[in-house]
Amino acid sequence: MVTDLSDNPAAPMATAIHIRDLCFAYHTKPALHDVTLDIPTRQITAFIGPSGCGKSTLLRCFNRINDRIPGAHLTAGSIHIHGIEINRPDIDLQELRRRVGMVFQKYNPFKKSIYENVVFSPRLGGIRKRAALDELAETALRSAALWDEVKDRLHTSALALSGGQQQRLCIARAIANQPDILLMDEPCAALDPTATLKIEELLHQLKKHYTIVIVTHNMAQATRCADLTAFMYLGKLIESGPTLQIFTTPNNPQTLAYISGSFG
Amino acid sequence: MPPEESPSPQNQHCFQRRGFSYDRAIKYFFASNAGLTIVILLLIIVFLLKEGLGFFPGYRRELEIYRIAGLEFVDISRRNLTAHEQLSSVLNRAYFAEINGQCARELKRTREASAVFNSFSDQTSATRDLIVNNQNSGLDPNSEMLAALRKNHAIQKEKALTSLPATPHLTAAEREQLLASIRTRDATATDDPPLVTTLAQQYAAAQQQCAKPLAELRTVIDSFEAAGADLSTLVTEMTDAVTSTKEALQNADLLEQNRKSLLAAAANAKDPTERRKLLADAHASLAEKPDIEGPMRALMRRQPDCSATHTALRHACADILARLPPSLSQSDANRLLRAANKATPLLLDSLGQAPQQITQWRHDKPVPLSDAIRSFLTGKDWVTGGAWQDFYGILPLLIGSLMISFVALCLAIPAGVGAAIYINQFASPTEQSVVKPVIEFIAAIPSVVLGFIGILIFGTVLRDLSQLDALAWVPGFPIEERLNMFTAGCLLALMSIPTIFSLAEDALNNVPSAYAEASDALGASRIQTSFRVIIPAAFSGILAAVLLGLGRVIGETMVVLLVAGNRIKIPDFSAGLGSFFQPSHTLTGIIAQELGEVPLGSVHYRALFVVGILLFGIVLGINVTAHKFVSRTPN
Repeated sequence: MVTDLSDNPAAPMATAIHIRDLCFAYHTKPALHDVTLDIPTRQITAFIGPSGCGKSTLLRCFNRINDRIPGAHLTAGSIHIHGIEINRPDIDLQELRRRVGMVFQKYNPFKKSIYENVVFSPRLGGIRKRAALDELAETALRSAALWDEVKDRLHTSALALSGGQQQRLCIARAIANQPDILLMDEPCAALDPTATLKIEELLHQLKKHYTIVIVTHNMAQATRCADLTAFMYLGKLIESGPTLQIFTTPNNPQTLAYISGSFG
Repeated sequence: MPPEESPSPQNQHCFQRRGFSYDRAIKYFFASNAGLTIVILLLIIVFLLKEGLGFFPGYRRELEIYRIAGLEFVDISRRNLTAHEQLSSVLNRAYFAEINGQCARELKRTREASAVFNSFSDQTSATRDLIVNNQNSGLDPNSEMLAALRKNHAIQKEKALTSLPATPHLTAAEREQLLASIRTRDATATDDPPLVTTLAQQYAAAQQQCAKPLAELRTVIDSFEAAGADLSTLVTEMTDAVTSTKEALQNADLLEQNRKSLLAAAANAKDPTERRKLLADAHASLAEKPDIEGPMRALMRRQPDCSATHTALRHACADILARLPPSLSQSDANRLLRAANKATPLLLDSLGQAPQQITQWRHDKPVPLSDAIRSFLTGKDWVTGGAWQDFYGILPLLIGSLMISFVALCLAIPAGVGAAIYINQFASPTEQSVVKPVIEFIAAIPSVVLGFIGILIFGTVLRDLSQLDALAWVPGFPIEERLNMFTAGCLLALMSIPTIFSLAEDALNNVPSAYAEASDALGASRIQTSFRVIIPAAFSGILAAVLLGLGRVIGETMVVLLVAGNRIKIPDFSAGLGSFFQPSHTLTGIIAQELGEVPLGSVHYRALFVVGILLFGIVLGINVTAHKFVSRTPN
């Protein structure tokens, strides 16, 4: 039974991701400085800030997808997910990435059928039975609010879908892994307003079951979706707190300047 | 007053284009370059078609002469005679394989002893010859010089004695005896060592011994051979008659052609005296219509005789072949016997049908153009420059090309695609920087160089390997011919690996990195990402790479000309996979080999052009298909 924390702000919030004094660099070029932040479970946390402020880098640290980039490395600090330091050498990266799903800015379904896209990771996990896969696919597509649109053409190419549908398919693909945390790197940047709206509605549904961290350029989107907002600037976490507070009474003058549109 | 037509100075505006600009000159220069390549390609196609399409009417006429001169009639008998001769050759080989197999031990012993002695003779020949030559030229037998030569010979002898081949089938005592006789052997001696002679005698005796129980088989084979004598005589007699008719017809054709060209020249000539002269020449060249009815009647009179001979031969063969033993003791001999048993019903069938074919044959049956086309596309013989009749059937060449390409692709696809996958997906940057240039360097080796490497090293090594007893289980081993389709296929594989590798690697590179990232983010391992996401996404590009490699292989000439063995014959598929170890000729090879020697404008010359058209079509088709696949790659 899932307890819905979002409807009960008074309840103590558990921490899903626990970041302490995180410093990160690409080769010798530092990208993050002393970031310390707690991301609560089953809430939507938004990272905002101007381009190049390090918000995507921070997000990509949570599933260590930054490891793909040659020269990218952690210089100090720690990230704990469910109490476990994920930068330890004995971490099973594949297991970590199964628990921490990710959706990218540019929707990137594989050149396979819709069905094959969704069951990609369950198949990797060793599930072979057709019935089990079918059920997983349906659940994931329903959770991503895509089932009704594609149920008649599950076995046609995913690339024939519209952009918004493709992005929701990517969300379904990530959900099919049954992760705890969903990372979203500007998921609506490549979409039109209608598709964006659908994704945002979907986020409200999803946060009942998943901890969601979203990077966005769109401050309106942050106010619409996020429970918590963190403002980053030049690799530093400037301010974080409940969205309403950040956008109405920010403590830091830089935050105020950014949300009022003076720069960025 | 009407308005001025030409632009007046008032009509000119400040953006007026004036004259021929530098930019346009550059544009036209490059446009003309691009246009030129297209024009050249069109010219090549037009030229190929112009030279090639004249082939079919010419070939039709040759086939017509083949029929009306009666060669076709004689060929019915000739084919049966050849089949009969082949069968008797197979039986003979089976007989000797049986004897040699039974005397295998004696054969090996005598061979080993001879090998030891031959090796010794070769190694000591230099000093021995000096002694013999000097003695013959009358040198004093006791002179110092001869003594010195003898000393040298002794040294060389000692050295040679330490490096003689092994003799696993001789006893230690026998070897000792052989070495002793060699050691004490005089430089001038010409007889063989006693052991070598003894073993040779033993072998001959064993052969005789083995032949005794096979006397029955020998008689069967001999009587089978003798049964063909009547047909052979008949064919020889008829051959002379029809060949002269054919020559007469061909001469008449030539004269007619000559007359036509003279008449054409006369029509174009301006000077009246010259025109008269040309017309007179043309008239002189008017061919007498060669008499074909007379020889044909003579030939037709032989029809009953011919039928009767076939029927008689068939009965004789059936009786004789029924007396063949069911099996032989040696595996080689048994294999040949089985081949003979397989060929027997075919021969009997063919002999049985012959009388009907003979009576039904008509010399005046027309030869339509479609016969020429069919004979070209499905003909099993490519026979040119022969005294009897030329046939242009591309089947042996096409099959050769396809089988060689098949071998090449079977080897090049795993190697090329595998290397591309490894280099693109798993290799470290250092490995990439070494392996990629090396593979691409293979493409820079001239094919003629690869060809002689293939002949000298690869072919020889492969044949020597195939002689090993340990590898006898491989189908087709031991290889009879050093130059064969497999060798050519291996070299072509080497040549097409760079093409397949580079294009497949490009295809893998073209898979968007977002795919790999998404797969990684979903918790896929490196191998899973490669094999479940990247390679499937690049599949059409890899297929295109393979097809372009195939185009390269089919079109390659030099290597196949040097290495494929150039035997124009459809391989014997009864050998199964071993048929890849037979020599063959190819579409490309035949053009390269024969085009330099054919008379310009002859039917043979045009036939080669049609082969060229076919080759062009095949490669074009492959490239177009590959292009379709390339355009389907995601990016």
